[in-house]
Amino acid sequence: MNMHKHDVQHKQAFDEPLWWGLFSAGGVCFAVLLPAVILFIAVLLPLGLLPAEALSYERASSLLFSVPGFLFVGAVVCMPLFHAAHRLRHGLFDISVGNDALNKKLMYGGATLLSVLALGIVVAGFLR
Amino acid sequence: MDKSSSQRLPPLKRNWWLKHRFFKLYMLREATVLPLVFFTLCFLAGMVALLQGADSWQGWIAFMGSPIVLLLNLLALAASLFHAATFFVLFPRVMPIRIAGHSLPDQVTVAGQWAGVVVVALLFFWLLVRSGA
Repeated sequence: MNMHKHDVQHKQAFDEPLWWGLFSAGGVCFAVLLPAVILFIAVLLPLGLLPAEALSYERASSLLFSVPGFLFVGAVVCMPLFHAAHRLRHGLFDISVGNDALNKKLMYGGATLLSVLALGIVVAGFLR
Repeated sequence: MDKSSSQRLPPLKRNWWLKHRFFKLYMLREATVLPLVFFTLCFLAGMVALLQGADSWQGWIAFMGSPIVLLLNLLALAASLFHAATFFVLFPRVMPIRIAGHSLPDQVTVAGQWAGVVVVALLFFWLLVRSGA
């Protein structure tokens, strides 16, 4: 029993710094990049306040399906997803929803899946 | 397991954080990721649309313009700014910067980070408005 508990604590010390590191990096991306990204892509673009050709199908494709586009998606989608996963996990714990061991797998697992999907789309568009 | 201390302390009620302004603000900060996740899912849908073709891309822009989606994304914009305001003040506490033996005042690092937000917005302006036309 004691041995088992020790093992678990050892494992915890191994992975928690990773989640806190991703949380922190994602927090920087969320704070510095996302205000502009949301303003331009989710507010000005649908309201028609950008020049017509700014994000036309051709221009948006060439911007996104590129090496800078890959890095952009990493910073704007993947990193903030791990930040969100971390906050959701701890938020669920704070309001006693579910159990932490399962929430942890669901949240970080979900962030990983969506990150792979996002980067995969960029690669698929790049190879097209 | 993780967070096993909760098994030793008497469990808190779910509404413990409603009893003090500090904890309400803490929960509001935690909740900033909810509209963020909404925006991220929208963004992913936009990437899929872009992969599918020009018609899907136009359809996605129309979807982004529907009132509820626009409203939730405006909420995400507000959430990102609130998150920034709470996150930037942590930086000088986590990583105090010292130059030539003098520590940099907190306001300077906070202002520097807000300058970063403005620079990113200006980059977008340059990329999408000035040279995009």
